[in-house]
Amino acid sequence: MVPTVILELQNLSRHFGGVKAVDQLNLQVHQGEILGLIGPNGSGKSTTVNLISGVYRPTAGALRFKGQDIAPLEPHQRTALGIARTFQNIRLFGHLTVWQNLWSARVVRQQGWTGFRERWLSGAGAAREQAEQLLVFGDLAHQRDMLAGNLAFGEQRRLELIRAAASGAELLLLDEPAAGMNAEEIDDLDQRIRSLRAQGHTILLIEHHMELVMEVCDRVAVLNFGGKIAEGTPAQVQQNPQVRAAYLGSDETPAAAPTEPAPPHLHQHA
Amino acid sequence: MDLLYLLDLTQSLIDGVLFGTIYALIGIGFTLIFGVMHKLNLSYAAASIGAAYLSLIVVSAVPAPVVYVASALLGGALGWLVYLICFRFVPINNPLATLMSTLGMLLAIEELISHVTRGMPQNFPAMFASSNIEIGQFFLRGDLLFVFALGCVAMVALTQLLQRTRLGLATRAVAQQPIAAQLCGMSVNATNANTFVIAGLLGGTAGAMAGAAIGVLSPLMTLPLTVKGLVVTVIGGLGSIPGAIVAGLIVGGVENVFQFLRGVAERDIYVMLMLFAFLIFRPGGLFAAPGGRD
Amino acid sequence: MDFYLGLAQVIGIHTLLGLSAWCVLHTGQVSIAQGGFFAIGAYSAGMLTSMWNWPLGPALGAGAALAGAVAVAVGFPALRVKGLMLVVATTAFAEIVRLFFFNLQWRVQTPSGLVGPDGSLGFGGIRYFPSNGWSTFEVNVLIWALVAGVMALLWWLDRSRVGTLWRAVGEDELAAQSAGINLTAAKVSAFGIGGCIAGLSGGVFAHYATHIEHNNFGILLATFAVAYPIIGGLSSLAGTLVAVIFIQGFLLEGLRFLGEWRSLLFGALIVVVMLVRPNGFLSRALGVNWGRARRTTADRTPPESGSLYRQ
Repeated sequence: MVPTVILELQNLSRHFGGVKAVDQLNLQVHQGEILGLIGPNGSGKSTTVNLISGVYRPTAGALRFKGQDIAPLEPHQRTALGIARTFQNIRLFGHLTVWQNLWSARVVRQQGWTGFRERWLSGAGAAREQAEQLLVFGDLAHQRDMLAGNLAFGEQRRLELIRAAASGAELLLLDEPAAGMNAEEIDDLDQRIRSLRAQGHTILLIEHHMELVMEVCDRVAVLNFGGKIAEGTPAQVQQNPQVRAAYLGSDETPAAAPTEPAPPHLHQHA
Repeated sequence: MDLLYLLDLTQSLIDGVLFGTIYALIGIGFTLIFGVMHKLNLSYAAASIGAAYLSLIVVSAVPAPVVYVASALLGGALGWLVYLICFRFVPINNPLATLMSTLGMLLAIEELISHVTRGMPQNFPAMFASSNIEIGQFFLRGDLLFVFALGCVAMVALTQLLQRTRLGLATRAVAQQPIAAQLCGMSVNATNANTFVIAGLLGGTAGAMAGAAIGVLSPLMTLPLTVKGLVVTVIGGLGSIPGAIVAGLIVGGVENVFQFLRGVAERDIYVMLMLFAFLIFRPGGLFAAPGGRD
Repeated sequence: MDFYLGLAQVIGIHTLLGLSAWCVLHTGQVSIAQGGFFAIGAYSAGMLTSMWNWPLGPALGAGAALAGAVAVAVGFPALRVKGLMLVVATTAFAEIVRLFFFNLQWRVQTPSGLVGPDGSLGFGGIRYFPSNGWSTFEVNVLIWALVAGVMALLWWLDRSRVGTLWRAVGEDELAAQSAGINLTAAKVSAFGIGGCIAGLSGGVFAHYATHIEHNNFGILLATFAVAYPIIGGLSSLAGTLVAVIFIQGFLLEGLRFLGEWRSLLFGALIVVVMLVRPNGFLSRALGVNWGRARRTTADRTPPESGSLYRQ
């Protein structure tokens, strides 16, 4: 079965003066997959996410979501269309409560008077119940009335995640969600990402934590100098000599999950 | 539309552009402060007029150039004072507080000027008021030419200061990357204070020039000068000095042309419309700030 | 007694003015133009009752509506871009409005003679209250009924989704955009509603003062408008009211002996308050905490959003 392409970047470029942060990038995200996006620092990962979410406009190239050209759209329009994101540096509404953070992110897609009323004038009542499911999913139900700025770090990360899901978007862009997490929290995150996919979301995961990427992603794309240098399953990407060179310039792979056989020369000394 | 009308129109354009150097200097001051602190100092134009007033008090019965210099120096001192009171001790992640603070300062200065002078305009010395240069059908008013020349000198001095001196280098460094600048051993507070002093020197000069060009100083000048200075800063591009210069001359010219066409009452409305046109079509201004992204 | 009733009127009118700025500040925007909308409401409501014999209610409503419409027209271009642009645009706009009314001359013949704005001489003869036998007490009832009404409206808006959206925009514009919130719609709506409220309070002011002129609507009024909610603390509506009572009641009336220098003192007061308590003063100091004004850990770390207010 041919996978449906939900997001397509075609020769996408973003220049800042002379700096080519993203250069002729070609990438396809398939519906229902968890695609990892990795690369050394400065490779253009953040810029790519910002291009997709609408913070930056492309200098050249095409950006299509479900076949529709989204380059001229504002960020909030893209969210309404079905693309939501989290931020590397947590950007919660600190002085709003947890459930208010979810409430403000819930995108009302109806048009006309009903839509207007729902979007602006609706009271808290029904919204609180709808937020319950997500709160339970994020293990934050007991914190629903806590100010987001007072949450613990791990809780804030979870809130960022469910806030993105609250928008009802199909494609979730997760920008380094594992940064600063301990092993237990990363395991948690792994489970949550899989759950989100099971619920019907497609996930583009930008990460530095190789273990997580190799564990949870179906496919991985590797960026360097603003372009894609490799793409494939986690195993394929790990073996790719260009990827190794990009990260360490040596024979060693980036900190991989221990699923690969040891390099041949070790066996000879067994 | 006969030739005489066209000549008068062009004459007002010329006069306006010459006067526009004053707006350019005020615009540069606003933009300088915005460049280093990413905040607006709303009291800047008022402090500039205040410096001109002070120079009248401090030096009486002296030749005009001394008054101008005094005004510039007092402007620098006032600039440092404003920095200390409104910017130095307010936490950096609270731009609302500094905005309110400078607004309060603007109010305080305006009220102070109004009440001390009891609202009476004060005569301000002009130079070369009676000498005019004729070029063909056009007069270049001596006093305006002088104001223009003085403004140019000030702008050249400023660019030299920013490009050629360590102080200028520090100012630009702090504006672009305050934390990195600190790590390189530059004192952010000292550099910012210096920037305010420099802007204040420019402002004091502009205040003196405004007085010289108009012939009097009046508390009624503070608010229009503030507004036009801000308009110039926005049209030129926040943080861009060349932008402020060009925009200042444009605003001066446009203002005078509209005064010729529609009278004093309506001309400010047109300046305002110009601002809104830029906000709609070109909010970054003529020249976007260096290092600006998206 | 009359003195206190008169003071109560001023406090009521200024509270409405402060509430109009409260609205705008909630989305993280600073407007120097609330005085301008106040002026528009004042002149239009005054003109409608004194020149064309409109009843008070519709006149106040029309003044508010006109001010709100102008606010949307002015705010829309400015609010599409950075927060500081609104400061510039509103500063320019306020001055233009003042100049406009300085030049406005429009008088009609009425049974009591020529009535209407007369350029620099101002606009006198707004005699609706005296002509219709309103006592100071009754005017107070009207003003405070309006204050209560506006507070109730704003309280209701704050509890509805729009209030949460406004505050989200005020917290972090980038995150709000990415969460699907239409920034321009949020900011323009707050600005427009603020303009309406300012216009309403201006209309009441015109009838209270019976004579208005361009000088009433200068930088002092603009400063009052934003100072009240900032000094009172933005998290609660009541804080604005407390700030007005404090500033108008104690400071300006209590220091009457300073005469003309009171306004200067007010400017200095603002500067001092911003140094000492930049996050709002009275709300916490007096324990008036009817809103959500609890400090969070987020207050201590420097955030990086693009919003002017909680930058």
